[in-house]
Amino acid sequence: MSDPVSLLLTVLVLSLVTNIGISLYGVFTRPSLVKKFISLTIFSDTLNSFAIALGFRRVARGYPSIAVIPSIPEDVSELRAAAGTAVDPLPQALVLTAIVIGLAVYMFLAGLIVMYYRHYGTTHVRPAEGGSIG
Amino acid sequence: MELVPVAIAALSALLSVVATYLAVRSRDMLSAAVFSAAQSTAYALIYYVLMAPDIVLVYVPVSVGILPAVTVLLIKKTERYER
Repeated sequence: MSDPVSLLLTVLVLSLVTNIGISLYGVFTRPSLVKKFISLTIFSDTLNSFAIALGFRRVARGYPSIAVIPSIPEDVSELRAAAGTAVDPLPQALVLTAIVIGLAVYMFLAGLIVMYYRHYGTTHVRPAEGGSIG
Repeated sequence: MELVPVAIAALSALLSVVATYLAVRSRDMLSAAVFSAAQSTAYALIYYVLMAPDIVLVYVPVSVGILPAVTVLLIKKTERYER
């Protein structure tokens, strides 16, 4: 923990955990559906950031590179050297898919919220539970 | 050598905490959408520093462009202030 880079990475992860807490508070306690929508987008972005942070790693010297090999490798040692300094590309591929699927889900949710507003005349969740806004 | 990019990532993570708090707390939905876009910008910076520039290329148009636009359209069609 005496390493400043470890300390900064810890600060990053703890900030992401705090963001999860705040956005879940928004999803659970705010009465407006639009506010729940915004909090849900922040929540899913934070989970994606966790996956990206999982794929990051520290190399012995310098900074890790992108998981791309620019030329066809001559032998295995070149491939091994490239893989030894690259970040993990698998979480990045998964997050790329998750962002696009999430966009489709948010479009659907936005349509549902507009339908809710046309039916109840408000975006407050209370009328759907049978109560009135008080 | 690797201290400066990681410091930028940690700073933008702290900035995103502030933006998330303001987005969840504000009564005005329009400013909540703007704060959410600010949080997305900070996340894009984190992704770039964590060596995922392909994610940045998708994330910036989706989360800084399309999602706030959809949220603003949603606010325009429904109500602006939270009761």
